[in-house]
Amino acid sequence: MAVMPVEWGKIREYAVATANDRAEYLDDPKAPIPPTFLATVVFWETLGDVFDLPEAVAAWADAGVDRDVRNLLSLEQEYLFHGELPRAGDVLTTSLRFDGVEEKNGRSGRMLLVRFAVEFRGDDDVLRAECRYTSAYLNTPEAVS
Amino acid sequence: MTDPRVGTRLPPRDFGPLTMTDIVRYQGASGDLNPMHHDDELARGAGYPASFGVGMLNAGYLATYCTAHFGTDSVRRFRTRFRKVVFRGAVVTARGVITRVFDEGGESRVEVELTLTDADGATVVEGTAEFVTRR
Repeated sequence: MAVMPVEWGKIREYAVATANDRAEYLDDPKAPIPPTFLATVVFWETLGDVFDLPEAVAAWADAGVDRDVRNLLSLEQEYLFHGELPRAGDVLTTSLRFDGVEEKNGRSGRMLLVRFAVEFRGDDDVLRAECRYTSAYLNTPEAVS
Repeated sequence: MTDPRVGTRLPPRDFGPLTMTDIVRYQGASGDLNPMHHDDELARGAGYPASFGVGMLNAGYLATYCTAHFGTDSVRRFRTRFRKVVFRGAVVTARGVITRVFDEGGESRVEVELTLTDADGATVVEGTAEFVTRR
């Protein structure tokens, strides 16, 4: 769990880095966040901690593989917003959620899909947004994101 | 966007050519400092011809493409899947088509299918997203 202040300067920086020149991001001190802005949660939350949750430890053990996050290849990210977008000046509380391991048999053999999420809550513990991650667990280290 | 309809195609938009500056600026902004994106020697050691672009930067370009059409406070869902890496010099093209017009939570929304393709037409990132068009 971490407390993540949503900062205007960070929103400007992120908008510029993604070639976005909308005035709402650049000129409004109460700027809304860009759709993928919550990727910056890594400045506040250690995502790898999700694999230390008891349900994650149990799922890895069931799958019969070592819990080595270096073997994870990011396949998909999804951002969900429940109601109004977070804006500069808001303070979000984050928590990690482990969503499970799924075994798939593809052309290249057995593959494990690992799903986890970060939840972002506002005042009164209301769920405002989620980042959902889907990664493949590879047997050979190959870090791509 | 007024009167969105299923099948409406958004005009394509190019991003790039991708530079190392684009990559490191995004890495600094996002906090993803994976050296595979800026260390050529390391990437060659792993079998790549050079360090390569960041998947989430490409997703960010798709987000920029969408906010230009649907505004900055309308996103409800934004999902991207990473299909292919790109290297410096790449020009990528964003495209979108409206696949659903529906009401949810008292809002009118559209679902959009998104693709980012490279110069050969190969899909780099694909995605789906939902935006509010009227509340």
